Amino acid sequence: MRPVAFRAVEKSFGAVRALRPTTLDIAGGEFLTLLGPSGSGKTTLLNITAGYLAPDAGRVRIGERDVTELPARKRNIGMVFQNYALFPHLSVFENVAYGLRSRGCTRSEIRRRVEEALATVQLAGFGGRAIRQLSGGQQQRVALARALVIEPDVLLFDEPLGALDRQLRKHVQLEIRRLHQRLGRTTIYVTHDQEEALVMSDRIAVMREGRVEQIGSGRDLYERPANSFVAGFLGESNLIEGSVTRVSGDYAELSVPALGMAIRGIAAAGLAEGEPGAALLRPETIRIGADTAPCLAARASEIVYLGEIVSVRLVLADEREIWCRRLSNLGEVRPGPTTLGWPAEEVRILPIHSNEETREVRHDRSS
Amino acid sequence: MPKAVRILLHIGVSAILALLVLPAFVVVPASFNAASFIRLPPAAFSMRWYGGFFQDPEWLSSLATSAEVAALATGLSLSLGTLAALGLARLGGALRTALYGLFLSPLIVPTIVTAIALYYVSRPLGLVGTIPGLALGHTLLCLPFVLVNVGVSLHSLDPALLRAAEGLGAGPWRVFRTVTMPIIAPGLLGGAVFAVITSFDEVVISIFLSGITAKTLPVKMWETIRVEFTPVVAVAATFLILLTLTLFALLRLFGLRQAKPAESLS
Amino acid sequence: MKDTRSRRPLATALLLLPAALFLLLWFAAPLGELLRLSFSDPRGALAAYRELVTGDVYRRVFANTLLVSVVVTGISILLGYPIAHVLTRLHGARLHFAFWCVLFPFWVSVLVRTFSWMLLLERNGPVNAALEALGLTSAPLPLLFNNTAVYIGMTHVMLPYAVLPIYASLVRIDRRLLLASDGLGASPWTTFRRVYLPLGMPGVGAAAALVFLLSLGFFITPALLGGISNITVAMLIEHLVNERLVWSLAAAAAFLLLGVTLALLFVAARLVPIGQALSER
Repeated sequence: MRPVAFRAVEKSFGAVRALRPTTLDIAGGEFLTLLGPSGSGKTTLLNITAGYLAPDAGRVRIGERDVTELPARKRNIGMVFQNYALFPHLSVFENVAYGLRSRGCTRSEIRRRVEEALATVQLAGFGGRAIRQLSGGQQQRVALARALVIEPDVLLFDEPLGALDRQLRKHVQLEIRRLHQRLGRTTIYVTHDQEEALVMSDRIAVMREGRVEQIGSGRDLYERPANSFVAGFLGESNLIEGSVTRVSGDYAELSVPALGMAIRGIAAAGLAEGEPGAALLRPETIRIGADTAPCLAARASEIVYLGEIVSVRLVLADEREIWCRRLSNLGEVRPGPTTLGWPAEEVRILPIHSNEETREVRHDRSS
Repeated sequence: MPKAVRILLHIGVSAILALLVLPAFVVVPASFNAASFIRLPPAAFSMRWYGGFFQDPEWLSSLATSAEVAALATGLSLSLGTLAALGLARLGGALRTALYGLFLSPLIVPTIVTAIALYYVSRPLGLVGTIPGLALGHTLLCLPFVLVNVGVSLHSLDPALLRAAEGLGAGPWRVFRTVTMPIIAPGLLGGAVFAVITSFDEVVISIFLSGITAKTLPVKMWETIRVEFTPVVAVAATFLILLTLTLFALLRLFGLRQAKPAESLS
Repeated sequence: MKDTRSRRPLATALLLLPAALFLLLWFAAPLGELLRLSFSDPRGALAAYRELVTGDVYRRVFANTLLVSVVVTGISILLGYPIAHVLTRLHGARLHFAFWCVLFPFWVSVLVRTFSWMLLLERNGPVNAALEALGLTSAPLPLLFNNTAVYIGMTHVMLPYAVLPIYASLVRIDRRLLLASDGLGASPWTTFRRVYLPLGMPGVGAAAALVFLLSLGFFITPALLGGISNITVAMLIEHLVNERLVWSLAAAAAFLLLGVTLALLFVAARLVPIGQALSER
């Protein structure tokens, strides 16, 4: 149950800043997911934790131990690789026993612990098989057993479910979560799949361009995203951009000239009057056919029936499209003109993540 | 791997690579010896033995024989090999594997065995000591290289192209000339270069099939080396190195990737 | 539409016929003739083989051939493995250059390279001069006309044949397997012994088989660099044909050599992917 601590850890590959100075604390026994698009630095941070990459600066601690200078073999970590990296020339048993042999365990102890680990991942009796005789899902579980059997201080996962089909992936996600709840090992899990992150994690760190944009529980990130990037990456979102006109107390106001209106909502941290901002309207926040202020004219252009909910595409006055979702039993929605409303306490006014590229795009759009 | 070990490893490997490349070049300074025996490094440099080479009718005629044999063997292996490669590409399965094995088998059978077998059957036919006899023997060893090189470039030939050309009304010869030929041209050139080098460098078969009437350059070198270390042999060796380097450069110049078949391993 | 491959079998046969006919007439038939010859000893069909197998002189030749092939194979693997390994770690221009160095010997005549070694190893040659200059020896060493010279010269010829299959095998090893081993606590030596070495074994096996087979029948280099007592089978065959003119013995020796070569090839092909290595040499 060792905590992991990063202090101003950074790494560059040539001119590419793979990881900007990052400080992060992971509690003992916590399941933390690093979530982000490719190139966001999540795998770099994982490899630095494992000891496969040396950071350019900063310190890494596992428990009380500063491991920054230690090679991977001395860190007592268990890693499950993308595509598993199982030794093709060794049997299932020998793959799982590999770490124990390196630790000089006795023959009988190795036998006992390997069998225990195989049983834990529901592969009891598979020890004699060759790796290539196993299905993808079974290989995944061997990789998990191999990482678990050495009783690692930290368990690391590098997109381990990418090679599995969707059905199996869901099943394994739940299995990994149950295993974590039972064994309580500190876990760092890298993925670009938000659903995977939500299912398993205690906390999620959303990463982008080598830095952690926000860290928190899945609910935190969904309901209180720190900026427009996090809002857009996690869950479906309608982001309406404008400029912040007023910040007072918990609330802020965003003026959107294209729609000829101001949107009020809960202010995120770091907003400043006069700066560009975005209003986040989650699809379930929007009420169709509202007649109380704020009220916005729109046209329902497409209605998709999805069972317990309907998804509605709405075209606003400036031809911008937003999506709205509502429970089917609230009555039928018909195509054509309607009005939209939303409770201000469910709207969030966010700073727009700063990025040279998007800033330019925004200039283009306004000109 | 510890850094010190890695550095030592790289130094060791660099040394071995140097030992692979450099020794062959000692024949170059050796050929410029002024003395009548080889001294390394030479006490005095001179072009004397180059003159010696070109004034000696035996060396000159061996050079001419080698050139003629190489031209014949290259032509023969190129025609036989290209046809066979085209034929193999139309086959599939076990027959293709078996025939491929047959065509490559001259590389597997030890050359000394092939050499005495050819010597034995060539004598009664009067082919020993003749240019056609030597060329026929060399063709056996050149053929696999042509086959492999042309075969590799045929891989990049989409059968749909042939159907398309046919569909547009081209006859078989026209299809070959306008579609197949341009696509396999690099393979043909690569195969030709290997055929020339193989034939020019061949010693074992040539020793048995050469006679007083026709003797290749390597055989003349072989006979001379066994008697004395004269700088003339170094001159001949320098010519052989120059020839291979020139052909090598020629392949590079045409930007051809399939060099010696072994390179396709990379 | 019919597949182009299966179409017009007559045309396919005509394309293959010239080369196949040539090989049958000028390769298979002469070998068949030689095989017949090996049984033509006036003392009885198997007399030539019996003489080769029982004669002390011939046994020594076979033993020496075997020794040379084993030693050359061993040295080639020991030197070829580190080269192949370093090649897998190089990129771009350096990789190109290193590959060129490995392939260069393929391009230069075996005779020229052997002659170069004769000049280098000669009694008054540069190697002896260097050894004396360094004070390692006081008198010139007899480096030429013995098995040492044969080992050096033949290893020089065979090394590329060892490097290429090993490289092909090593370069395919997934680097994450090494990371996984490291992460599981294995020392670098353990990772090498338990992961890298076994996964590269098919290449090492193919390289060993290839070098050994080619060494068995080698003629030029042992003939020029070896001494009077370092006769190999290939030299024996030449001697029997050119000096002693006993064709039945020469043919029998040739078929013993060919038989051993093919048998080894057959066995090796079951164990390691040598077919690829051979066809691409």
